[in-house]
Amino acid sequence: MSFLQSIKDKVRSRSIHVSYVDVGSCNGCDIEVLACLAPRYDIEQYGIFVHNNPREADVLIVIGAYTHGWEEKLAPLWQKIPDPKAAIAVGNCPISGCCFNRRGSYIDPPVSKHIPIAAEVPGCPPRPTEILNAILSVRDSVFANWEVERR
Amino acid sequence: MKRTVDVNIPLGPIHPCFKEPARVKCETKGERVIAAEVELGYMKKGIERIMKGRPWQEVMFLAERVCGICSVIHNMVYIEAMEQISGIPVPPRAAYLRVVANELDRMQSHMLANFSYCYTIEHETLGMYLLDCREQVMDLLERLTGARVTCAYIIPGGVRCDIHEEDLSFMLESLTRIESDLLRYTGMFESGPMIALRSRGVGILTPEAALQAHAVGPTARASGIAVDRRTQHPTYMKLGFATVVRHDCDNYARIMLRFDELFQSIRLIRTCFTGLPTGVIRGGGTCKAGEIRYSGEAPRGELTYVIKTDEYGRVVEIEIQSPSIMNIEACCHSMIIGADSIADVTSAFVSADPCIACTER
Amino acid sequence: MTPSLFWYLQEFARPVWLKKFFFARTAPLTTPPLFRDFPEPTGKPCQHVLFCMMVCPAPGAIDVVLDEDGWKPRIHKGHCIRCGLCVEACPNGVLTSGRVLATLQEQGTSLEVSFRIAIDRDLCTGCGNCATACPVNKEIDAQLGAGGHSSNEEVIMRVHDGDVRVLHEDKCTGCKTCENSCPTRAIQIARILEGKQQNPGGVSP
Repeated sequence: MSFLQSIKDKVRSRSIHVSYVDVGSCNGCDIEVLACLAPRYDIEQYGIFVHNNPREADVLIVIGAYTHGWEEKLAPLWQKIPDPKAAIAVGNCPISGCCFNRRGSYIDPPVSKHIPIAAEVPGCPPRPTEILNAILSVRDSVFANWEVERR
Repeated sequence: MKRTVDVNIPLGPIHPCFKEPARVKCETKGERVIAAEVELGYMKKGIERIMKGRPWQEVMFLAERVCGICSVIHNMVYIEAMEQISGIPVPPRAAYLRVVANELDRMQSHMLANFSYCYTIEHETLGMYLLDCREQVMDLLERLTGARVTCAYIIPGGVRCDIHEEDLSFMLESLTRIESDLLRYTGMFESGPMIALRSRGVGILTPEAALQAHAVGPTARASGIAVDRRTQHPTYMKLGFATVVRHDCDNYARIMLRFDELFQSIRLIRTCFTGLPTGVIRGGGTCKAGEIRYSGEAPRGELTYVIKTDEYGRVVEIEIQSPSIMNIEACCHSMIIGADSIADVTSAFVSADPCIACTER
Repeated sequence: MTPSLFWYLQEFARPVWLKKFFFARTAPLTTPPLFRDFPEPTGKPCQHVLFCMMVCPAPGAIDVVLDEDGWKPRIHKGHCIRCGLCVEACPNGVLTSGRVLATLQEQGTSLEVSFRIAIDRDLCTGCGNCATACPVNKEIDAQLGAGGHSSNEEVIMRVHDGDVRVLHEDKCTGCKTCENSCPTRAIQIARILEGKQQNPGGVSP
């Protein structure tokens, strides 16, 4: 079985389908993720395909501080994504709420209270180089031995 | 009397063409769209409520993060409103550098809007060319201010840092390269027959409908209405600013208008650099009490801040009116209705350049 | 130029085209030094003035902690928005980020921090919580009374005749402890920031 598992690990780490969800951000991190798609920091050369369909995604990129409007929508969305899956939080907002985390705002940080987060990229917004470095360092380990460990 | 519709199609919060969560519910009969309704509320953070009682150094960063794409203009309108309340004069060199930062931000926002449109009509090649060109503009922003997005460059009394000699010459040669690239891409857009099939005659917004919906920015200027707040800004008047207008009223006119504004921005930046005055960049000055209603021209239209402060410059009441709500209204009630096919809904919506984060703060 | 097979082969054999085809690379994944990154320590000793904490716009991003070498500012990466205000506000240049500190020194710009105490006389009950809670008061007068009474003239504020009097506003460090301890929200501290420049430099082509 381990040979089959190693084939699965190799394929899963080199061909990743990504969907992103914006749970209430300022769009700064959003355009830095789009800048990763640009020909300068090409993310598709690593086998990472950013379409926006949660039903076919392996990795969900979460951007933004969790607002009241997404109250009962993010957790069902997470459940609709098929296994194996992982979530990456990009920016300061899903980690701590950034500068919106004051008394009287309508946000509920951190996002890891609502769905399990596998990796975080701090910064407001993080540079495309930092996002790519984080994704490349995590892609080997996030789906490794999925059947053995997660079941 | 019950009205029959065939299918109610929701274009949901997560969609390959929309970068931000908004829900557009279209009632269709066959392929024709009869009515459309927009549901917002996915991004409300309550920024204006957090801003109450805070001094300018905290409100400035919150104002910048209302929208990350047009962050420099939010910064500039807020700080200029505070300067008008407190009577702080701006040194001339700082005023010119502010215009440079503002126009660089406008360039990257228009390139992003055009990329979004080309991606929506599935012309990925041109979209990727534009995104590559945008990276060069982000390099220039990084050299001038130190950060790519949410630069925090403008403070009451001036700007934060001056421009170095070698950065200035690098910027001027970069701008020549960007201009020649843009000429080529504009030619590609103008002469592409597939692009014309999906853009000419699609998403018509007549001038009467635009006036009724109070459309602003490129959405209104592509329908022949000449409205631009930069004509009333003293520094822009000195630089000889003239409004750009087109009369075609469709998707094609809106995208070509953004290309025209890109060339106008490059011309403005060159004029700023050739006539840059010497002097200080920070003039000092503290914020005082008062109230004001101040507007500026964001890449998407007219942005208004209504501020009331107490005697130490802290915000007592603040109200931000962003341009996208009026453009979305114009889009959903005039452009989409009577569209020939459901596929034109996304392209018309994206060509009006909605920024949902600005709309609900 | 008639497009014949020979012409196409000649086009593909151009050295410029071959170089672009075989040696195309995307940009390296490094951050340029002029980017305003998370602030790093320069090595200068921190004097515990705490202006960095007072001007920081993001809650919980910076605090100044005491370890075996003395006071040190500590940045929390998930909270810091990389604005560079703490780098500019520090009077001793303890932090650096991108070109911010170099620009301060070359162009003579500075950020001056000062604090004002404002008391709303209609809401103030004269309880003396503010005077007792103030850490500067405690340092100056160790025998500060429970109601905020003090016989020392050097304290920032004290209660006299049932009312709080502010004596030395310039000693305030802006920590807002008094504001947090006031039961009626009568006292408010304003953190005033002013951007100044001393010597006009400036390049113009």
